[in-house]
Amino acid sequence: MRYAAARLGYGFLLLAGVSILSFLLADLSPGDAAAEMRLNPRISPGAVAALRVRYGLDRPLPVRYVRWLRSVASGELGWSVAYGAPVGPLLWRRAGNTLVLAVTAMALAWLVAVPAGVWAAARQGSWVDRLGLAASAVLLAVSELVLALLGLAVAARTGLLPAGGMASLDYDALGGWERARDLAAHLALPAVVLALSAFPVVLRHVRAAVAEALESPFVQAARGHGIPRRRLLWRHALPAAAKPLVSLLGLSIAGLLSGSVLVEVVLSWPGLGPLLLQAILARDLHVVVGAILLSSVFLVLGNLVADLLLYWVDPRVRGA
Amino acid sequence: MLLAAGLVALAGCGSPAGKPAAEAAKAGGEARRGGRLVAALGSEPRTFNPVTAVDAASLGVIQAMTANLVHIDRQDQEARPALAESWKVDDGGRRYTLVLRPGLRFSDGHPATADDVVFSFQVYLDEKVQSPQRDLLIVGGQPIQVRKVDDRTVEFRLAAPYGVAERLFDGFAILPRHLLAQAYQAGTLASAWGIDTPPAKLAGLGPFRLRERRAGERLVLERNPFYWKRDAAGAPLPYLDELVFLTVPNADAQALRFQAGELDVADRLSAESFDRLSRDAARRGLRLVDAGPGLDLNFLFFNQNDLAGRPLPALRRRQEWFRQTAFRQAVSAAIDRDALVRVVYRGRATPLNSHETPGSHWLDKALPPPRQAPEEARRLLRGAGFSWDAAGALRDRAGEPVGFTLLVVAGNAERGPMATLIQEDLRKLGMDVRIAALELQAVLDRLFTSYDYDACVLGLDGGDADPNPSMSILLSDGSHHFWRLTHGPLAPWETEVDHLLKAQLAERDPAQRRRLYDRVQEIVMEQRPLIALVTPKVLVGARAALGNLRPAVLDDHLLWNVEELYWRRQR
Repeated sequence: MRYAAARLGYGFLLLAGVSILSFLLADLSPGDAAAEMRLNPRISPGAVAALRVRYGLDRPLPVRYVRWLRSVASGELGWSVAYGAPVGPLLWRRAGNTLVLAVTAMALAWLVAVPAGVWAAARQGSWVDRLGLAASAVLLAVSELVLALLGLAVAARTGLLPAGGMASLDYDALGGWERARDLAAHLALPAVVLALSAFPVVLRHVRAAVAEALESPFVQAARGHGIPRRRLLWRHALPAAAKPLVSLLGLSIAGLLSGSVLVEVVLSWPGLGPLLLQAILARDLHVVVGAILLSSVFLVLGNLVADLLLYWVDPRVRGA
Repeated sequence: MLLAAGLVALAGCGSPAGKPAAEAAKAGGEARRGGRLVAALGSEPRTFNPVTAVDAASLGVIQAMTANLVHIDRQDQEARPALAESWKVDDGGRRYTLVLRPGLRFSDGHPATADDVVFSFQVYLDEKVQSPQRDLLIVGGQPIQVRKVDDRTVEFRLAAPYGVAERLFDGFAILPRHLLAQAYQAGTLASAWGIDTPPAKLAGLGPFRLRERRAGERLVLERNPFYWKRDAAGAPLPYLDELVFLTVPNADAQALRFQAGELDVADRLSAESFDRLSRDAARRGLRLVDAGPGLDLNFLFFNQNDLAGRPLPALRRRQEWFRQTAFRQAVSAAIDRDALVRVVYRGRATPLNSHETPGSHWLDKALPPPRQAPEEARRLLRGAGFSWDAAGALRDRAGEPVGFTLLVVAGNAERGPMATLIQEDLRKLGMDVRIAALELQAVLDRLFTSYDYDACVLGLDGGDADPNPSMSILLSDGSHHFWRLTHGPLAPWETEVDHLLKAQLAERDPAQRRRLYDRVQEIVMEQRPLIALVTPKVLVGARAALGNLRPAVLDDHLLWNVEELYWRRQR
């Protein structure tokens, strides 16, 4: 319990640091949320200046930061200049959509990569193993942006899957089961693209960790005792290899909100990605900081989950 | 122009005369009713508030939900009656009296009267509300005065005659006083009607009203049953039951989803997408339209700001070149605009010699078309004391090599390649041009704050049907006089441009107004403070079954007459 509390304390410090750094860095970059309007000949500089005053963009950095802190304390999480609305409600719904996508993709990637990695580790050097390594190298090299565009082109040409969005236009008229099917159809493309980009990392980690465990003396000894191969792999080698995998899982959880930005933009998934991209381009600072902070919360959560899991699987941590 | 003076009584029906009206009469309105149109927005709208909206997505949606007193037909760019069925002008163009249609109702069923009109203009004019459109209502240095005459009549008083005349009233959506007066009194109108506002709290006089919003994903608009406009056969408009806006942030994704049938219309297609979609358009039941040169302006300008007191000595030295008319003329003559059209836009653009594009009715047709003339460029430079060394590099009178940096917004698919082609053209002239591609906000910082740049290639999207909203670019003290925002004494031609612009603003005779503005264009072409480059053509697409589609070069290219659009076969 104390272990978890200490970790949570670290988390809060991290969040405070992240928010201060975000404000500082944003302040160093040129322009603000009102600057882009300056290019529109139909908007007078007076109107732009008035907007700056209205949203306090003309105030010194510490004043803006304290205002923002107050807004966070009240649950608004800042104020979006572009939307003229509190940031919190803008983020929650989209964060939910992003989680639906990211959790599905992560589950897909892990469910396939773990058995594939164990299997490859048991057959090191075989042609299947080498083929797997080559395929994962190719996937590692191709950016998820290219994968998303490819998927989009295929979907648009073949019409097999919806080419973007999260729900059909008739979604509200559908029954419960049909709604689930509709969501699954819309999820398929972005989730597969995201899973494909996460898959090689997990595969390679699992393979390396299990291979190392298979070399360890206790597994050799177990093999000497005649323990069946399958049992040896899944009951002895895999748990022994769990430590690096648990850390990797923590990282995956940390990246849940931030890992899918590009895919969401290309495939029009109504998550945090398109909102964040727009906000960055428009220097809508509070939206950007809000999204970064949410991602940081997941980073903290991911690390916490990983630490707790480690505590559970590794007796040495408990003893320390 | 529709009107000079006196009462202009126009037909009660708002449907423009001509082909669509004839079509409507033939088929009958009822047969066309129904169906859903799906369009895309590049980003989620940020507000439903017509007073503060500035982004294209919000304006696009608001246009479908609101109406103006007078409406400019986006195709022939003429003013047509909208909420006002007639108007008269007297007192030498200083007084406009507008009569509203009888029986107007907002989309929530509440009657719309002169009180709503007066309230709306009170809001737009209120300095505390900070509407970006407020400046358009300042005429002769004074805010326009609005007064209710009776329930259907409103009087506008101007401090001076105004050349824009009744076109002024396009672009000011009439607001429902019964829903917004409270927010206005509380001083919160600017943040009212945010994107989370429930549909029941919104009302307008447009053809559609909001039914549902799914955050970040889409807006569903439904037919406004109280809409005032009827077709030529007397059937109520709009024909469509639903108008859906999907958020599709990526332009390529928009084209692909249009191809896949998930979108019914596609606006602002790239030349590449347009050509690709055109190949099998007939098989897919698509209609691709090249609506001709648009109003977007791509131009190059040199930094001529007064830099006194700024630590930029090297730039000040280079400004000696930039301030010479012959230097700017030479740069303009050296640029191969046809190559820009060919390479950057795959031929789907038009080279420019004026800041007014061929899409605008205000282009001075007497101006010669632009042509590349490298020899002429060399002659101009030689005449201004420039020379070439043995290696072919251009040197100024003092023997300094001529070179500068061309600023361009990074990541722009058009202006980036454009800058590279210009760099190559000017290299042949012996100029050493470097390209600095910076992020938009950094470019804005240099243009408006630090003035630390040599030259810039910039684009302005979506011009206007009238020169006035863009006057801030050409007026020497204009807020968008990019090349010279800070300046000392003016050259005689700059004084003349200022004088001409102000004169046309108050000129009520359209022919004379045109003559004044033609002269402005001649001077700008001669002096080249801004070197106009190219304007892309307006490339759009729609399902072939969409009737009454009349793509226009003015925004909104496809949906400006959304109330008239219908499906030829019921979908």
